[in-house]
Amino acid sequence: MAKRSGAGRRVKPAGGFELLAWYWMRISGLLLVVLALGHLFITHIIYNVESINYAFVASRWAAPKTGFFWRIWDLSMISLAMFHGFNGLRQVLDEYVINPSRRVVVHTLIWSFMFALLGIGSYAILMFQKDEKYINQWELEHGRVANSSPSTSPASSVLVDSTR
Amino acid sequence: MTTTDSVRNLTLKIKRYDPERDEKPHWEEYEVEVDGHDRVLDVIQKVKWYQDETLGLRRSCAHGVCGSDAMRINGINGLACKVLVKNLQSSLLTVEPILGLPVIKDLIVDMKPFFDHYKSVMPFLINDDPPPTTERLQSPAERARFDDSTKCILCACCTTACPPFWGDQKYVGPAAIVNAHRFIFDSRDRGAAERLDILNDAQGVWRCRTVFNCTSACPRDIKVTQAIQEVKRAMLTGDIGFDPST
Amino acid sequence: MSQSLRTPQVYRRGFRDRLVEGLRYGGGVGQWSWLIHRLTGLGILLFLVIHIVDTFFVVAFPALYDHTVAIYSGIISGLHPTVNGYYWPLRWVFRLGELGLIASVLFHALNGIRIVLFDFWPKAVNHQKTLFNAVQIVFWVIMILVTIRVVSPLFSAPEHVPVLKTASAPAMVPSR
Ligand code: SF4
Ligand code: SF4
Ligand code: FES
Repeated sequence: MAKRSGAGRRVKPAGGFELLAWYWMRISGLLLVVLALGHLFITHIIYNVESINYAFVASRWAAPKTGFFWRIWDLSMISLAMFHGFNGLRQVLDEYVINPSRRVVVHTLIWSFMFALLGIGSYAILMFQKDEKYINQWELEHGRVANSSPSTSPASSVLVDSTR
Repeated sequence: MTTTDSVRNLTLKIKRYDPERDEKPHWEEYEVEVDGHDRVLDVIQKVKWYQDETLGLRRSCAHGVCGSDAMRINGINGLACKVLVKNLQSSLLTVEPILGLPVIKDLIVDMKPFFDHYKSVMPFLINDDPPPTTERLQSPAERARFDDSTKCILCACCTTACPPFWGDQKYVGPAAIVNAHRFIFDSRDRGAAERLDILNDAQGVWRCRTVFNCTSACPRDIKVTQAIQEVKRAMLTGDIGFDPST
Repeated sequence: MSQSLRTPQVYRRGFRDRLVEGLRYGGGVGQWSWLIHRLTGLGILLFLVIHIVDTFFVVAFPALYDHTVAIYSGIISGLHPTVNGYYWPLRWVFRLGELGLIASVLFHALNGIRIVLFDFWPKAVNHQKTLFNAVQIVFWVIMILVTIRVVSPLFSAPEHVPVLKTASAPAMVPSR
Protein backbone atom coordinates (compact mmCIF):
# COMPACT_ATOMS: atom_id res chain seq x y z
CA MET A 1 0.00 0.00 0.00
CA ALA A 2 1.15 3.47 -0.82
CA LYS A 3 2.21 5.48 2.12
CA ARG A 4 -0.88 7.27 3.28
CA SER A 5 0.63 9.99 5.34
CA GLY A 6 3.88 11.07 6.82
CA ALA A 7 5.96 13.89 8.07
CA GLY A 8 6.03 17.20 6.30
CA ARG A 9 2.82 16.90 4.30
CA ARG A 10 0.96 20.07 3.61
CA VAL A 11 -2.40 20.44 5.33
CA LYS A 12 -3.76 23.00 2.94
CA PRO A 13 -5.30 21.87 -0.32
CA ALA A 14 -3.71 23.52 -3.33
CA GLY A 15 -6.31 26.12 -4.19
CA GLY A 16 -8.88 24.47 -6.35
CA PHE A 17 -11.59 26.14 -8.40
CA GLU A 18 -14.40 25.71 -5.88
CA LEU A 19 -12.31 27.13 -3.05
CA LEU A 20 -11.39 30.17 -5.11
CA ALA A 21 -14.98 30.57 -6.31
CA TRP A 22 -16.21 30.47 -2.73
CA TYR A 23 -13.62 33.03 -1.65
CA TRP A 24 -14.39 35.19 -4.65
CA MET A 25 -18.09 35.30 -3.79
CA ARG A 26 -17.23 36.69 -0.33
CA ILE A 27 -14.73 39.30 -1.49
CA SER A 28 -16.70 40.53 -4.50
CA GLY A 29 -19.88 40.48 -2.43
CA LEU A 30 -18.43 42.77 0.20
CA LEU A 31 -17.11 45.20 -2.43
CA LEU A 32 -20.47 45.15 -4.17
CA VAL A 33 -22.24 46.06 -0.93
CA VAL A 34 -20.46 49.42 -1.19
CA LEU A 35 -20.50 49.84 -4.97
CA ALA A 36 -24.02 48.64 -5.75
CA LEU A 37 -25.77 50.15 -2.74
CA GLY A 38 -23.87 53.39 -3.42
CA HIS A 39 -24.99 53.32 -7.02
CA LEU A 40 -28.60 52.70 -6.01
CA PHE A 41 -28.39 55.46 -3.43
CA ILE A 42 -27.23 57.98 -6.02
CA THR A 43 -29.61 57.02 -8.81
CA HIS A 44 -32.73 56.30 -6.76
CA ILE A 45 -32.47 58.28 -3.56
CA ILE A 46 -30.37 61.39 -4.23
CA TYR A 47 -31.88 61.77 -7.68
CA ASN A 48 -35.31 60.82 -8.82
CA VAL A 49 -34.84 57.91 -11.19
CA GLU A 50 -37.25 59.57 -13.65
CA SER A 51 -34.84 62.44 -14.15
CA ILE A 52 -32.19 60.11 -15.55
CA ASN A 53 -31.64 60.50 -19.25
CA TYR A 54 -28.83 60.86 -21.75
CA ALA A 55 -27.82 64.27 -20.42
CA PHE A 56 -27.65 62.89 -16.88
CA VAL A 57 -25.39 60.02 -17.90
CA ALA A 58 -23.23 62.46 -19.85
CA SER A 59 -22.96 64.75 -16.84
CA ARG A 60 -21.49 61.88 -14.86
CA TRP A 61 -19.27 60.01 -17.29
CA ALA A 62 -18.08 63.03 -19.30
CA ALA A 63 -17.50 65.43 -16.45
CA PRO A 64 -13.98 66.87 -16.76
CA LYS A 65 -12.79 66.14 -13.24
CA THR A 66 -15.04 63.45 -11.80
CA GLY A 67 -15.93 61.57 -14.97
CA PHE A 68 -12.93 59.30 -14.65
CA PHE A 69 -13.94 58.40 -11.10
CA TRP A 70 -17.51 57.46 -12.07
CA ARG A 71 -16.30 55.41 -15.01
CA ILE A 72 -13.94 53.45 -12.76
CA TRP A 73 -16.75 52.99 -10.25
CA ASP A 74 -19.16 51.71 -12.86
CA LEU A 75 -16.56 49.53 -14.53
CA SER A 76 -15.56 47.82 -11.27
CA MET A 77 -19.19 47.45 -10.33
CA ILE A 78 -20.19 45.80 -13.58
CA SER A 79 -17.22 43.42 -13.63
CA LEU A 80 -17.65 42.35 -10.01
CA ALA A 81 -21.41 42.02 -10.43
CA MET A 82 -21.11 39.95 -13.60
CA PHE A 83 -18.65 37.46 -12.15
CA HIS A 84 -20.50 37.37 -8.82
CA GLY A 85 -23.95 37.05 -10.36
CA PHE A 86 -23.20 34.51 -13.05
CA ASN A 87 -21.09 32.41 -10.71
CA GLY A 88 -24.07 32.46 -8.36
CA LEU A 89 -26.29 31.33 -11.20
CA ARG A 90 -23.83 28.55 -11.99
CA GLN A 91 -23.86 27.40 -8.37
CA VAL A 92 -27.64 27.34 -8.29
CA LEU A 93 -27.92 25.46 -11.57
CA ASP A 94 -25.22 22.98 -10.56
CA GLU A 95 -27.56 21.84 -7.81
CA TYR A 96 -30.20 20.86 -10.32
CA VAL A 97 -28.23 19.96 -13.44
CA ILE A 98 -26.39 16.85 -12.35
CA ASN A 99 -25.49 15.18 -15.63
CA PRO A 100 -21.84 16.15 -16.34
CA SER A 101 -22.24 16.71 -20.07
CA ARG A 102 -25.31 18.87 -19.53
CA ARG A 103 -23.35 20.78 -16.95
CA VAL A 104 -20.68 21.56 -19.53
CA VAL A 105 -23.37 22.92 -21.83
CA VAL A 106 -24.87 25.04 -19.06
CA HIS A 107 -21.50 26.41 -17.98
CA THR A 108 -20.56 27.27 -21.54
CA LEU A 109 -23.82 29.13 -22.04
CA ILE A 110 -23.47 30.97 -18.74
CA TRP A 111 -19.93 32.15 -19.32
CA SER A 112 -20.38 33.11 -22.97
CA PHE A 113 -23.45 35.12 -22.11
CA MET A 114 -21.58 36.77 -19.26
CA PHE A 115 -18.61 37.77 -21.38
CA ALA A 116 -20.89 39.15 -24.07
CA LEU A 117 -22.70 41.28 -21.52
CA LEU A 118 -19.49 42.36 -19.85
CA GLY A 119 -18.18 43.28 -23.29
CA ILE A 120 -21.01 45.59 -24.26
CA GLY A 121 -21.18 47.01 -20.74
CA SER A 122 -17.50 47.90 -20.62
CA TYR A 123 -17.68 49.23 -24.16
CA ALA A 124 -20.45 51.60 -23.09
CA ILE A 125 -18.54 52.82 -20.07
CA LEU A 126 -15.16 53.23 -21.74
CA MET A 127 -16.14 54.49 -25.18
CA PHE A 128 -18.81 56.97 -24.12
CA GLN A 129 -18.38 60.38 -25.68
CA LYS A 130 -20.68 63.22 -24.97
CA ASP A 131 -22.82 64.24 -27.91
CA GLU A 132 -23.34 68.00 -27.35
CA LYS A 133 -25.43 68.37 -30.47
CA TYR A 134 -27.87 65.71 -29.33
CA ILE A 135 -28.25 67.25 -25.88
CA ASN A 136 -28.77 70.73 -27.30
CA GLN A 137 -31.37 69.49 -29.70
CA TRP A 138 -33.12 67.53 -26.98
CA GLU A 139 -33.24 70.53 -24.70
CA LEU A 140 -34.52 72.70 -27.48
CA GLU A 141 -37.39 70.33 -28.02
CA HIS A 142 -38.32 69.35 -24.50
CA GLY A 143 -37.10 72.23 -22.43
CA ARG A 144 -34.27 71.74 -19.99
CA VAL A 145 -34.88 69.02 -17.52
CA ALA A 146 -34.04 70.48 -14.21
CA ASN A 147 -31.01 68.49 -13.23
CA SER A 148 -29.41 67.90 -16.59
CA SER A 149 -26.46 70.13 -16.94
CA PRO A 150 -26.34 73.19 -19.10
CA SER A 151 -24.16 72.06 -21.93
CA THR A 152 -21.75 74.91 -21.43
CA SER A 153 -20.65 73.93 -17.93
CA PRO A 154 -21.17 70.21 -17.63
CA ALA A 155 -19.15 69.70 -14.50
CA SER A 156 -21.34 71.77 -12.27
CA SER A 157 -24.20 69.33 -12.16
CA VAL A 158 -22.59 66.14 -10.99
CA LEU A 159 -23.74 66.36 -7.43
CA VAL A 160 -26.11 69.27 -7.66
CA ASP A 161 -29.70 68.22 -7.52
CA SER A 162 -31.99 71.04 -8.36
CA THR A 163 -35.05 68.85 -8.70
CA ARG A 164 -35.92 69.21 -5.07
CA MET B 1 -54.74 19.55 28.86
CA THR B 2 -51.98 17.21 27.88
CA THR B 3 -50.65 16.22 31.22
CA THR B 4 -48.40 13.20 31.10
CA ASP B 5 -51.17 10.67 31.60
CA SER B 6 -53.94 12.15 29.54
CA VAL B 7 -55.08 9.87 26.78
CA ARG B 8 -56.11 11.47 23.53
CA ASN B 9 -56.76 10.63 19.94
CA LEU B 10 -54.24 11.46 17.32
CA THR B 11 -54.42 11.30 13.56
CA LEU B 12 -51.26 9.79 12.19
CA LYS B 13 -50.62 10.59 8.56
CA ILE B 14 -47.94 8.47 6.95
CA LYS B 15 -46.46 8.71 3.50
CA ARG B 16 -46.66 5.17 2.21
CA TYR B 17 -44.92 3.57 -0.73
CA ASP B 18 -45.24 -0.05 -1.70
CA PRO B 19 -42.60 -0.89 -4.29
CA GLU B 20 -44.69 -3.72 -5.68
CA ARG B 21 -47.85 -1.75 -6.24
CA ASP B 22 -47.26 1.99 -6.27
CA GLU B 23 -45.86 4.31 -8.86
CA LYS B 24 -45.56 7.12 -6.34
CA PRO B 25 -45.87 7.50 -2.59
CA HIS B 26 -49.27 8.45 -1.18
CA TRP B 27 -50.62 9.52 2.19
CA GLU B 28 -52.55 7.24 4.51
CA GLU B 29 -54.23 8.18 7.77
CA TYR B 30 -54.69 6.23 10.98
CA GLU B 31 -56.52 7.07 14.21
CA VAL B 32 -54.40 6.21 17.24
CA GLU B 33 -54.95 6.57 20.94
CA VAL B 34 -51.88 8.06 22.58
CA ASP B 35 -50.86 9.06 26.05
CA GLY B 36 -48.34 11.58 27.28
CA HIS B 37 -45.51 9.09 27.52
CA ASP B 38 -45.71 8.07 23.90
CA ARG B 39 -42.98 8.89 21.50
CA VAL B 40 -43.58 9.09 17.78
CA LEU B 41 -42.01 5.65 17.44
CA ASP B 42 -44.58 4.19 19.86
CA VAL B 43 -47.41 5.68 17.83
CA ILE B 44 -46.07 4.20 14.61
CA GLN B 45 -45.57 0.83 16.31
CA LYS B 46 -49.18 0.86 17.52
CA VAL B 47 -50.27 1.23 13.92
CA LYS B 48 -47.99 -1.54 12.76
CA TRP B 49 -48.92 -3.93 15.55
CA TYR B 50 -52.67 -3.38 15.75
CA GLN B 51 -53.86 -1.75 12.54
CA ASP B 52 -51.68 -2.33 9.50
CA GLU B 53 -48.87 -4.82 9.63
CA THR B 54 -47.68 -3.94 6.13
CA LEU B 55 -46.24 -0.65 7.34
CA GLY B 56 -42.47 -0.65 6.81
CA LEU B 57 -40.09 1.16 9.09
CA ARG B 58 -36.61 0.72 10.44
CA ARG B 59 -35.79 0.91 14.14
CA SER B 60 -33.60 -0.90 16.54
CA CYS B 61 -32.57 0.49 19.91
CA ALA B 62 -35.60 2.75 20.48
CA HIS B 63 -33.41 4.91 22.68
CA GLY B 64 -31.71 7.34 20.35
CA VAL B 65 -28.49 5.41 20.13
CA CYS B 66 -28.47 3.42 16.90
CA GLY B 67 -29.67 6.14 14.57
CA SER B 68 -31.83 3.86 12.45
CA ASP B 69 -35.24 5.54 12.74
CA ALA B 70 -34.60 8.96 11.26
CA MET B 71 -37.71 10.31 9.58
CA ARG B 72 -39.45 13.53 8.78
CA ILE B 73 -41.83 14.26 11.62
CA ASN B 74 -44.26 17.14 11.13
CA GLY B 75 -41.96 18.50 8.46
CA ILE B 76 -38.70 18.30 10.39
CA ASN B 77 -36.15 15.51 10.51
CA GLY B 78 -35.72 13.69 13.79
CA LEU B 79 -35.46 10.30 15.44
CA ALA B 80 -38.93 8.87 16.00
CA CYS B 81 -37.73 7.39 19.27
CA LYS B 82 -36.66 10.79 20.61
CA VAL B 83 -39.68 12.96 19.81
CA LEU B 84 -42.38 12.97 22.46
CA VAL B 85 -45.91 13.21 21.16
CA LYS B 86 -46.94 15.53 23.99
CA ASN B 87 -44.49 18.10 22.66
CA LEU B 88 -46.27 18.23 19.33
CA GLN B 89 -48.84 20.99 19.28
CA SER B 90 -51.38 19.71 16.78
CA SER B 91 -53.54 16.59 16.90
CA LEU B 92 -52.23 15.67 13.48
CA LEU B 93 -48.93 13.89 13.24
CA THR B 94 -47.36 13.57 9.81
CA VAL B 95 -44.53 11.16 9.21
CA GLU B 96 -42.63 10.68 5.97
CA PRO B 97 -39.29 9.25 4.88
CA ILE B 98 -36.24 11.49 5.00
CA LEU B 99 -35.77 13.52 1.86
CA GLY B 100 -33.21 12.95 -0.84
CA LEU B 101 -32.51 9.23 -0.56
CA PRO B 102 -34.31 6.61 -2.67
CA VAL B 103 -37.37 5.17 -0.90
CA ILE B 104 -37.35 1.39 -0.60
CA LYS B 105 -40.66 0.99 1.20
CA ASP B 106 -42.79 3.35 3.29
CA LEU B 107 -40.40 4.94 5.79
CA ILE B 108 -37.38 2.89 4.78
CA VAL B 109 -34.85 4.64 2.56
CA ASP B 110 -31.76 3.31 0.85
CA MET B 111 -28.87 4.54 3.02
CA LYS B 112 -26.13 3.37 0.66
CA PRO B 113 -25.48 6.78 -0.96
CA PHE B 114 -25.27 8.27 2.52
CA PHE B 115 -22.75 5.71 3.76
CA ASP B 116 -20.76 5.98 0.55
CA HIS B 117 -20.26 9.67 1.29
CA TYR B 118 -19.32 8.78 4.84
CA LYS B 119 -16.70 6.30 3.62
CA SER B 120 -15.31 8.76 1.11
CA VAL B 121 -13.80 10.95 3.85
CA MET B 122 -11.80 8.01 5.33
CA PRO B 123 -13.45 7.97 8.77
CA PHE B 124 -10.68 6.08 10.56
CA LEU B 125 -7.45 6.97 12.26
CA ILE B 126 -4.60 7.40 9.81
CA ASN B 127 -1.16 7.33 11.31
CA ASP B 128 1.73 5.44 9.78
CA ASP B 129 4.30 6.71 12.25
CA PRO B 130 6.04 3.90 14.11
CA PRO B 131 3.92 3.20 17.18
CA PRO B 132 5.40 4.55 20.40
CA THR B 133 6.23 2.11 23.15
CA THR B 134 3.41 3.58 25.24
CA GLU B 135 0.04 4.95 24.14
CA ARG B 136 -0.35 7.78 21.63
CA LEU B 137 -0.89 10.45 24.22
CA GLN B 138 -3.43 13.23 23.91
CA SER B 139 -4.11 16.07 26.32
CA PRO B 140 -7.68 16.75 27.52
CA ALA B 141 -7.63 19.98 25.51
CA GLU B 142 -6.62 18.14 22.36
CA ARG B 143 -9.40 15.63 22.95
CA ALA B 144 -11.93 18.38 23.53
CA ARG B 145 -11.09 19.91 20.16
CA PHE B 146 -13.16 17.32 18.29
CA ASP B 147 -15.40 16.09 21.09
CA ASP B 148 -18.58 17.44 19.54
CA SER B 149 -18.16 15.54 16.29
CA THR B 150 -17.52 12.21 18.04
CA LYS B 151 -21.15 12.15 19.11
CA CYS B 152 -22.47 11.42 15.61
CA ILE B 153 -24.61 8.28 15.28
CA LEU B 154 -24.90 8.44 11.47
CA CYS B 155 -28.65 8.81 11.45
CA ALA B 156 -28.68 10.99 8.30
CA CYS B 157 -31.06 13.53 9.84
CA CYS B 158 -28.65 16.32 8.94
CA THR B 159 -27.73 15.32 5.40
CA THR B 160 -31.33 14.78 4.39
CA ALA B 161 -32.33 18.14 5.89
CA CYS B 162 -29.81 19.99 3.75
CA PRO B 163 -31.23 21.95 0.79
CA PRO B 164 -28.12 21.51 -1.40
CA PHE B 165 -28.38 17.76 -0.80
CA TRP B 166 -32.05 17.73 -1.83
CA GLY B 167 -30.97 19.16 -5.14
CA ASP B 168 -27.86 17.10 -5.76
CA GLN B 169 -27.30 13.84 -3.90
CA LYS B 170 -23.67 13.86 -4.98
CA TYR B 171 -22.99 16.54 -2.36
CA VAL B 172 -20.99 14.76 0.33
CA GLY B 173 -23.34 16.17 2.97
CA PRO B 174 -22.99 17.43 6.54
CA ALA B 175 -22.74 14.00 8.21
CA ALA B 176 -19.66 13.05 6.20
CA ILE B 177 -18.07 16.43 6.92
CA VAL B 178 -18.76 16.04 10.64
CA ASN B 179 -17.02 12.67 10.58
CA ALA B 180 -14.11 14.12 8.63
CA HIS B 181 -13.93 16.87 11.25
CA ARG B 182 -13.73 14.13 13.89
CA PHE B 183 -10.37 12.98 12.46
CA ILE B 184 -9.00 16.17 10.89
CA PHE B 185 -8.78 17.84 14.28
CA ASP B 186 -7.57 14.75 16.14
CA SER B 187 -3.98 15.41 17.20
CA ARG B 188 -3.10 11.70 16.78
CA ASP B 189 -4.21 11.62 13.18
CA ARG B 190 -2.00 12.34 10.16
CA GLY B 191 -4.58 12.25 7.38
CA ALA B 192 -5.88 15.81 7.61
CA ALA B 193 -4.29 16.87 4.32
CA GLU B 194 -5.88 14.02 2.40
CA ARG B 195 -9.31 14.54 3.93
CA LEU B 196 -9.20 18.25 3.23
CA ASP B 197 -8.20 17.47 -0.35
CA ILE B 198 -11.17 15.12 -0.70
CA LEU B 199 -13.61 17.68 0.68
CA ASN B 200 -12.16 20.49 -1.42
CA ASP B 201 -14.04 19.83 -4.63
CA ALA B 202 -17.31 20.54 -6.35
CA GLN B 203 -19.14 17.94 -4.23
CA GLY B 204 -17.37 18.91 -1.02
CA VAL B 205 -17.71 21.49 1.73
CA TRP B 206 -18.13 24.41 -0.69
CA ARG B 207 -21.62 23.15 -1.46
CA CYS B 208 -22.67 24.12 2.06
CA ARG B 209 -24.68 27.35 2.04
CA THR B 210 -24.85 27.74 5.83
CA VAL B 211 -28.58 27.07 5.94
CA PHE B 212 -28.38 25.54 9.47
CA ASN B 213 -31.06 22.94 8.72
CA CYS B 214 -28.53 20.28 9.63
CA THR B 215 -27.73 21.83 13.01
CA SER B 216 -31.37 22.09 14.04
CA ALA B 217 -32.12 18.55 12.82
CA CYS B 218 -29.26 16.76 14.59
CA PRO B 219 -30.72 14.59 17.40
CA ARG B 220 -27.30 14.58 19.09
CA ASP B 221 -27.19 18.37 19.23
CA ILE B 222 -23.94 18.46 17.31
CA LYS B 223 -23.07 21.93 16.09
CA VAL B 224 -22.94 20.63 12.54
CA THR B 225 -22.67 23.95 10.70
CA GLN B 226 -19.94 25.09 13.07
CA ALA B 227 -17.97 21.91 12.34
CA ILE B 228 -18.36 22.50 8.61
CA GLN B 229 -17.23 26.11 8.93
CA GLU B 230 -14.14 24.97 10.86
CA VAL B 231 -13.29 22.59 8.06
CA LYS B 232 -13.72 25.38 5.51
CA ARG B 233 -11.45 27.68 7.46
CA ALA B 234 -8.85 24.92 7.82
CA MET B 235 -8.86 24.62 4.05
CA LEU B 236 -8.49 28.32 3.55
CA THR B 237 -5.69 28.83 6.05
CA GLY B 238 -4.06 25.40 6.23
CA ASP B 239 -4.25 25.71 9.99
CA ILE B 240 -5.73 22.85 12.00
CA GLY B 241 -4.41 24.07 15.32
CA PHE B 242 -1.45 21.71 15.54
CA ASP B 243 1.34 20.50 13.31
CA PRO B 244 0.42 17.08 11.95
CA SER B 245 3.98 16.37 10.87
CA THR B 246 5.40 16.12 14.38
CA MET C 1 -57.45 -9.72 -4.89
CA SER C 2 -55.93 -10.43 -8.25
CA GLN C 3 -53.78 -7.38 -8.42
CA SER C 4 -50.75 -7.90 -10.59
CA LEU C 5 -47.55 -7.04 -8.80
CA ARG C 6 -44.67 -5.32 -10.51
CA THR C 7 -41.01 -5.84 -9.91
CA PRO C 8 -40.14 -4.04 -6.71
CA GLN C 9 -38.22 -0.88 -7.29
CA VAL C 10 -37.13 2.07 -5.22
CA TYR C 11 -38.84 5.40 -5.56
CA ARG C 12 -36.69 8.33 -6.69
CA ARG C 13 -38.01 11.84 -6.85
CA GLY C 14 -38.28 13.56 -10.20
CA PHE C 15 -36.91 16.97 -11.10
CA ARG C 16 -40.00 18.84 -9.97
CA ASP C 17 -39.95 17.16 -6.57
CA ARG C 18 -36.28 17.94 -6.12
CA LEU C 19 -37.14 21.57 -6.71
CA VAL C 20 -40.22 21.97 -4.50
CA GLU C 21 -40.37 19.09 -1.99
CA GLY C 22 -38.03 20.93 0.33
CA LEU C 23 -40.39 23.89 0.63
CA ARG C 24 -42.48 21.77 2.98
CA TYR C 25 -39.50 21.24 5.24
CA GLY C 26 -39.82 23.23 8.46
CA GLY C 27 -36.33 24.62 8.34
CA GLY C 28 -36.77 27.90 10.17
CA VAL C 29 -35.00 31.19 9.50
CA GLY C 30 -31.87 29.62 8.10
CA GLN C 31 -33.80 27.95 5.32
CA TRP C 32 -35.95 30.98 4.55
CA SER C 33 -33.03 33.37 4.45
CA TRP C 34 -31.27 30.94 2.11
CA LEU C 35 -34.29 30.81 -0.16
CA ILE C 36 -34.83 34.57 -0.22
CA HIS C 37 -31.12 35.15 -0.76
CA ARG C 38 -31.20 32.86 -3.75
CA LEU C 39 -34.39 34.30 -5.26
CA THR C 40 -33.28 37.92 -4.80
CA GLY C 41 -29.92 37.03 -6.33
CA LEU C 42 -31.55 35.58 -9.43
CA GLY C 43 -33.92 38.55 -9.66
CA ILE C 44 -31.08 41.06 -9.45
CA LEU C 45 -29.17 39.17 -12.13
CA LEU C 46 -32.17 39.33 -14.44
CA PHE C 47 -32.45 43.07 -13.90
CA LEU C 48 -28.73 43.50 -14.44
CA VAL C 49 -28.95 41.90 -17.87
CA ILE C 50 -31.66 44.36 -18.88
CA HIS C 51 -29.84 47.27 -17.31
CA ILE C 52 -26.58 46.61 -19.14
CA VAL C 53 -28.37 46.36 -22.45
CA ASP C 54 -30.26 49.63 -21.93
CA THR C 55 -27.11 51.40 -20.79
CA PHE C 56 -25.43 50.21 -23.97
CA PHE C 57 -27.95 52.37 -25.85
CA VAL C 58 -26.33 55.44 -24.27
CA VAL C 59 -23.33 54.93 -26.50
CA ALA C 60 -24.96 53.32 -29.47
CA PHE C 61 -28.31 55.09 -29.80
CA PRO C 62 -28.73 58.12 -27.50
CA ALA C 63 -32.28 58.81 -28.67
CA LEU C 64 -33.33 55.21 -28.14
CA TYR C 65 -31.91 55.47 -24.63
CA ASP C 66 -34.02 58.51 -23.84
CA HIS C 67 -37.12 56.83 -25.24
CA THR C 68 -36.37 53.74 -23.16
CA VAL C 69 -35.84 55.49 -19.87
CA ALA C 70 -38.92 57.61 -20.47
CA ILE C 71 -40.91 54.38 -20.19
CA TYR C 72 -39.80 54.21 -16.56
CA SER C 73 -41.88 57.32 -15.93
CA GLY C 74 -44.81 55.85 -17.82
CA ILE C 75 -44.18 57.73 -21.05
CA ILE C 76 -44.21 55.99 -24.39
CA SER C 77 -42.51 58.15 -26.98
CA GLY C 78 -41.02 57.82 -30.41
CA LEU C 79 -43.63 55.35 -31.60
CA HIS C 80 -46.83 55.92 -33.54
CA PRO C 81 -48.85 58.94 -32.27
CA THR C 82 -51.78 56.72 -31.34
CA VAL C 83 -49.55 54.79 -28.96
CA ASN C 84 -47.44 57.62 -27.62
CA GLY C 85 -48.57 59.15 -24.39
CA TYR C 86 -48.41 59.07 -20.65
CA TYR C 87 -49.77 55.96 -18.96
CA TRP C 88 -49.94 56.27 -15.21
CA PRO C 89 -50.40 52.53 -14.47
CA LEU C 90 -47.18 51.91 -16.40
CA ARG C 91 -45.45 54.43 -14.21
CA TRP C 92 -46.78 52.78 -11.05
CA VAL C 93 -45.67 49.37 -12.23
CA PHE C 94 -42.13 50.57 -12.84
CA ARG C 95 -42.03 52.42 -9.52
CA LEU C 96 -43.09 49.29 -7.64
CA GLY C 97 -40.56 47.31 -9.62
CA GLU C 98 -37.94 49.85 -8.59
CA LEU C 99 -38.92 49.33 -4.95
CA GLY C 100 -38.65 45.59 -5.45
CA LEU C 101 -35.22 45.98 -6.97
CA ILE C 102 -33.94 48.14 -4.12
CA ALA C 103 -35.42 45.72 -1.59
CA SER C 104 -33.78 42.77 -3.32
CA VAL C 105 -30.34 44.36 -3.46
CA LEU C 106 -30.62 45.55 0.13
CA PHE C 107 -31.66 42.16 1.47
CA HIS C 108 -29.06 40.35 -0.60
CA ALA C 109 -26.37 42.72 0.69
CA LEU C 110 -27.38 42.52 4.35
CA ASN C 111 -27.85 38.76 4.34
CA GLY C 112 -24.61 38.46 2.40
CA ILE C 113 -22.84 40.24 5.23
CA ARG C 114 -24.47 37.76 7.62
CA ILE C 115 -23.14 34.84 5.58
CA VAL C 116 -19.63 36.34 5.44
CA LEU C 117 -19.75 36.71 9.21
CA PHE C 118 -20.43 32.96 9.55
CA ASP C 119 -17.39 32.30 7.43
CA PHE C 120 -14.85 34.61 8.99
CA TRP C 121 -16.05 35.20 12.54
CA PRO C 122 -16.18 31.74 14.17
CA LYS C 123 -18.59 32.74 16.92
CA ALA C 124 -21.22 34.00 14.49
CA VAL C 125 -22.67 30.52 13.88
CA ASN C 126 -23.95 30.49 17.45
CA HIS C 127 -25.98 33.62 16.81
CA GLN C 128 -27.50 32.92 13.44
CA LYS C 129 -31.06 33.73 14.49
CA THR C 130 -30.02 36.96 16.22
CA LEU C 131 -28.08 37.93 13.13
CA PHE C 132 -31.09 37.24 10.95
CA ASN C 133 -33.22 39.44 13.19
CA ALA C 134 -30.63 42.18 12.89
CA VAL C 135 -30.74 41.83 9.10
CA GLN C 136 -34.51 42.15 9.20
CA ILE C 137 -34.50 45.22 11.43
CA VAL C 138 -31.93 47.09 9.37
CA PHE C 139 -33.74 46.03 6.22
CA TRP C 140 -37.12 47.37 7.29
CA VAL C 141 -35.79 50.62 8.73
CA ILE C 142 -34.03 51.44 5.48
CA MET C 143 -36.89 50.18 3.33
CA ILE C 144 -39.46 52.40 5.02
CA LEU C 145 -37.36 55.48 4.33
CA VAL C 146 -36.67 54.34 0.78
CA THR C 147 -40.35 53.66 0.15
CA ILE C 148 -41.30 57.19 1.16
CA ARG C 149 -38.66 58.64 -1.13
CA VAL C 150 -39.41 56.39 -4.10
CA VAL C 151 -43.19 56.44 -3.97
CA SER C 152 -43.76 60.13 -3.25
CA PRO C 153 -42.97 61.40 -6.81
CA LEU C 154 -45.89 59.30 -8.01
CA PHE C 155 -48.25 61.92 -6.66
CA SER C 156 -47.00 64.60 -9.01
CA ALA C 157 -46.64 64.62 -12.78
CA PRO C 158 -43.53 63.05 -14.28
CA GLU C 159 -40.74 65.47 -15.06
CA HIS C 160 -40.53 64.46 -18.67
CA VAL C 161 -44.06 65.36 -19.61
CA PRO C 162 -42.90 67.92 -22.21
CA VAL C 163 -41.92 64.96 -24.33
CA LEU C 164 -45.58 64.44 -25.04
CA LYS C 165 -45.98 67.62 -27.01
CA THR C 166 -43.40 66.59 -29.53
CA ALA C 167 -43.38 62.85 -29.53
CA SER C 168 -45.27 62.49 -32.74
CA ALA C 169 -42.61 61.31 -35.13
CA PRO C 170 -41.76 57.63 -35.08
CA ALA C 171 -38.12 58.59 -35.42
CA MET C 172 -35.27 57.48 -33.19
CA VAL C 173 -34.17 61.06 -32.75
CA PRO C 174 -37.05 63.05 -31.35
CA SER C 175 -37.97 65.80 -33.73
CA ARG C 176 -40.75 68.25 -34.03
S1 SF4 D 1 -25.41 24.32 7.04
FE1 SF4 D 1 -24.58 23.52 5.14
S2 SF4 D 1 -24.56 21.32 5.37
FE2 SF4 D 1 -25.93 22.15 6.95
S3 SF4 D 1 -27.97 22.06 6.03
FE3 SF4 D 1 -27.05 24.02 5.62
S4 SF4 D 1 -26.13 23.88 3.62
FE4 SF4 D 1 -26.49 21.82 4.39
S1 SF4 E 1 -24.32 14.79 12.64
FE1 SF4 E 1 -26.16 14.49 13.89
S2 SF4 E 1 -27.83 14.42 12.39
FE2 SF4 E 1 -25.96 14.12 11.27
S3 SF4 E 1 -25.74 11.91 11.09
FE3 SF4 E 1 -24.58 12.59 12.89
S4 SF4 E 1 -25.99 12.40 14.59
FE4 SF4 E 1 -27.21 12.30 12.74
S1 FES F 1 -34.31 3.40 17.17
FE1 FES F 1 -32.19 3.63 17.57
S2 FES F 1 -32.03 5.77 17.42
FE2 FES F 1 -34.17 5.57 17.32
